[in-house]
Amino acid sequence: MTAAQLSLQQSAIIESIGESDISINFLELGILPGKEIKLLKKAPFGGPMAFIIEENIVALRQQEAILINLKS
Amino acid sequence: METTTVAATQTKTIAIIGNPNVGKSSIFNQLTGLHQKIGNYPGVTVDKTVGFLRLGEKSFDLIDLPGTYSLYPKSEDEVIAHRVLNGLGEEKPDFVLVILDACNLERSLLLGTQVMDLGIPMAFVVNMKDLAIKKGIQIKTFELYKLLGVPLVLTDARNNEGINAIRQLMAAEKFESPKPLLDSYSFADASLIGEVMARFGFTTPYQAFQLLVFGEFDKTLPPSDKEWLQEKSKIFGFDRKKQQIRETEARYVQIGEILKKSVSKEKIKSRNTTIALDNVFINPVFGFVIFLIIMLLIFQAIFAWASIPMDWIDVGFAGLSGWIYDNLPSGVLTDLLAEGIVPGIGGVVIFIPQIAMLFGFLAILEDTGYLSRVVFLMDRLMRPFGLHGKSVVPLISGMACAIPGIMAARNISNSKERLITILVTPWMSCSARLPVYIILIGLTVPDTLWMGVSLQAVGLLAMYLLGVLFTLLGAFVLKYILKTKENSYLLTELPIYRLPRWKTVLLTMFNKSKIFVLEAGKVILSISIVLWILASYGPSGSMQALEEEKTAILQNTPEEERSIVEESFASKKLEASFIGILGKAIEPAIRPLGYDWKIGIALLTSFAAREVFVGTIATIYSIGGDVENELTIREKLEKEVHSDTGEKVFDKATGFSLMVFYAFAMQCMSTLAVVYRETKSWKWPVLQTLVMTGIAYLAAFITYQIFS
Repeated sequence: MTAAQLSLQQSAIIESIGESDISINFLELGILPGKEIKLLKKAPFGGPMAFIIEENIVALRQQEAILINLKS
Repeated sequence: METTTVAATQTKTIAIIGNPNVGKSSIFNQLTGLHQKIGNYPGVTVDKTVGFLRLGEKSFDLIDLPGTYSLYPKSEDEVIAHRVLNGLGEEKPDFVLVILDACNLERSLLLGTQVMDLGIPMAFVVNMKDLAIKKGIQIKTFELYKLLGVPLVLTDARNNEGINAIRQLMAAEKFESPKPLLDSYSFADASLIGEVMARFGFTTPYQAFQLLVFGEFDKTLPPSDKEWLQEKSKIFGFDRKKQQIRETEARYVQIGEILKKSVSKEKIKSRNTTIALDNVFINPVFGFVIFLIIMLLIFQAIFAWASIPMDWIDVGFAGLSGWIYDNLPSGVLTDLLAEGIVPGIGGVVIFIPQIAMLFGFLAILEDTGYLSRVVFLMDRLMRPFGLHGKSVVPLISGMACAIPGIMAARNISNSKERLITILVTPWMSCSARLPVYIILIGLTVPDTLWMGVSLQAVGLLAMYLLGVLFTLLGAFVLKYILKTKENSYLLTELPIYRLPRWKTVLLTMFNKSKIFVLEAGKVILSISIVLWILASYGPSGSMQALEEEKTAILQNTPEEERSIVEESFASKKLEASFIGILGKAIEPAIRPLGYDWKIGIALLTSFAAREVFVGTIATIYSIGGDVENELTIREKLEKEVHSDTGEKVFDKATGFSLMVFYAFAMQCMSTLAVVYRETKSWKWPVLQTLVMTGIAYLAAFITYQIFS
């Protein structure tokens, strides 16, 4: 399961970050394996998603959210 | 004694760096206030902000580096941070001050420890201690200092707490070069690092590692160096991406260890205001409603409120021109001053209220944390057009004036999305088009009601919608034309909501206006002087003859009819000037659009600014009295007929065709100057002018053919 599949207010633990050109950007922002991630809001029409990670809110597009693999 | 004084007055440089939203500019502004200079880094569009600070005998230059999460450059901003700290093409600072977020120490230490490994003497400022205390985070400062080997100061910059401690630290130059946190040799071959260090004159292995990782993204690095780096990476089998991730992960492991020993967290169940507010502000329904209201307010401000100071500037410069005429001896120089230079400077200054207001609002939105929410809400709607969520603000402000809009496009980090935004913003219907539309609609659209709505209002609305439609269409087409290697992505923090800092807001307004006046102002002033010369001078003798004829006639004219004679000669002089000759020369080209040479002249002069169209038309048709009074001009133009056919000049076809031309043509030298300043090349503004004017010509041609 990836972060793109979370439903509103659902949380999970990050297992890994998928390989991509922007993997490093996730690490920089503190989106790290082992951390808890919770979906706060989704912009309409398949727009960006806002997640809470350690009390910080981070916005990603869905194409980026699918790179965050979650522990089931 | 002598020698110590000399040494003490020497200015040292301190670079300030930190994550975005960490309060870096707050600290920078507290330390330097108005003693800031804005310049440019070579080869990029990033502003270089340097502040000056005097502490007792010592003076310091503070370099405000762009906010970044790491020293891995992905954007131009981040390249600058890397170049400055490594002394590549820039003077290496003597010291570095890294601002850390007390609530997010883990993340901020990623950048902090990277700076440590570079080996420059440094200190940490742990900012936002007030918020950390509220969250139950306790930082054992001495423990942290012992573990990192870097002096640190705790601050709450918003409330001016701890700023003096920073000053004392600087005055005592209590910066230290700590031991590196990571061993760079475990990420790249020792001899590879050695070769890079030797070639670039680096002092620490981490500098070499950094260059290996992103040398290829650095546009300012000579191609020979890039090739050399690629070659060497290949020989030693250095996998850039893999090692970069390994380094970052290793760093987080070390940072975790350090924080375990130096930071404790009490579980405080506090109310999270930011999340509560975001339930409304980024709500799929209310979020858009609130955004619309805020945008309406900003639009109102740059459209209506700014017009008050703009009128003062207008009247003030007109008064100054008049004063010069009355008090200086008449002659060419006085004419140049009163009609060329003073109005030229006025034409630059007039934009300051709009620029200051837009950037004031933007600074408030950014400082409160709201701007990131706009990006979140609008990104989906902008993407089909090759634009970014961040393109919204430039485009909307383009409805008042394209200039602050284009300047605001700087926030867009993806260069393609930024360029598209800059190129299409001038198609949004700006306030300078309004006087042109009002006159032409008055002439061509009947003043009747249609289903209870004024038909003229519908006409005006149609012109605004045309602008929006073509802005988006233009962006859509450019999406396929412009090429980029960068991927578009959105990965951004939505920072906590805070009250705006008024000092930051005012400084932003001041600095943005200053940049505009100093940089775009030069181009605008030069073009307006050229335009003035073209409109005031003609081939030798022709002006002189007209002047003599006027004097002769005026002598035999009764007082009350003199103004009529003056007006008719003003019209004749404009006709005889170089610009008049040009207007006649282009007549064959603009005939198919339904324009005569008189309109041709107005097209040429209004390149200075669209609204100049009205004044020129007034002069060329020798309309006396108050040229500001649009009714007078309209009544006069209503009666104008073609001398050969006897048909109305401003009929529906010509009027519509002109409006369409003004909707699309790049009739604004100030926009041109700002596009040059923001893209750092003449290629884009020139292409933009050619394409926009070409499309304007075609669209006006089609419009004329349909309605005639």
